[in-house]
Amino acid sequence: MTVAFAVPDVLVARAQAGDEAALEALYRAFETPVYNLVRRMLRRPEDAEDVLQETFLEVVRNIKQYRGEGYLWGWIRRIASTKALMRIRRDHVRETESLDDEPGKPGMHIGANLDLERAFERLTETSRAVVWLHDVEGYTHEEIAEQMGKSVSFSKSQLARAHARMRRMLDEGAQA
Amino acid sequence: MMHCTMEDLGALQAGEASVWARRHITTCATCQAELEGLYQRIAQLKALPALRPPRDRWPAVKSALRVQRSRRRRTWGAWTGSLALAATIAAVLLMQPGTQATAHAELSQVKRQSATLEDSLQRYDTDGRVLSGHAAAVVADLEDRISILDGALVQREQGAQDAELVQLWQERVGLMRELMNARATRARYVGL
Repeated sequence: MTVAFAVPDVLVARAQAGDEAALEALYRAFETPVYNLVRRMLRRPEDAEDVLQETFLEVVRNIKQYRGEGYLWGWIRRIASTKALMRIRRDHVRETESLDDEPGKPGMHIGANLDLERAFERLTETSRAVVWLHDVEGYTHEEIAEQMGKSVSFSKSQLARAHARMRRMLDEGAQA
Repeated sequence: MMHCTMEDLGALQAGEASVWARRHITTCATCQAELEGLYQRIAQLKALPALRPPRDRWPAVKSALRVQRSRRRRTWGAWTGSLALAATIAAVLLMQPGTQATAHAELSQVKRQSATLEDSLQRYDTDGRVLSGHAAAVVADLEDRISILDGALVQREQGAQDAELVQLWQERVGLMRELMNARATRARYVGL
């Protein structure tokens, strides 16, 4: 899902003045795109909900710092993706336990009727994050590398491996 | 025959491919199909439906915002109250330098402790950590009690004896320590 939201400047100004109704209006405008973004990056729905809450806590506390440069959605999206990536880094141990190695599901044999969404969900969180940020949100590898604290080549190789894995899963799903 | 890797296909999609890959793709049907598959996967990802949050998180955000605002007001009130109090004490000490000096020293000490704890709490609260329901309730209760105490301090700053003020400030320091412990415990729990 790609989004390019615009909210009235007057609403942003009211939110910056501390108007609680305006802050709630901003929350209502962006809760779904923020949740969708972080839910696509993170495997567990409860983690995505926590990041949604953390993101808006930061938004309401720092809305005065938004200078109107670029879209508000770009500013909020940056906060959300950074928090989701922080959570992935923090939960690195869980990240290494890919579902690909799940007991009873050796290799990539995941059955028929596998669609792209399910194949995507079976990627590691790091791969999901790179694929979503690059292919859907339009981030460059440089931007992803900066946000993840990794190299550009890391971002590129993660993306290539993720696509190769999704392709294999879709092929095997179609053949099963 | 050598074919494009997935990295080559990604580079072709981004317009950053090598000369070899750009030439190869014009003649290799297999790689053309792979590149088309990559385009299709990306298009399908972009077309996935939006996932909506299962629960409304605004009430939690709003509560945290109100707590933050309440603390700001309280901190400001405590500062202004402290300044007025300090001025009063200074005036009294100038007139009665005897027994008041001890109480004044004690009052200064307990106020410094309070200010130090206030600074530490500000640091714990700057990054918007999410509290569990129970932890949030404990914190809210402590903050309410501190607010009430601050109100009492502001009311008594003009007429109360130093000894009484010391007692109130000590009570405030005790509550601040409890609040600090509640937040520190949560910070350890989430590994931050």
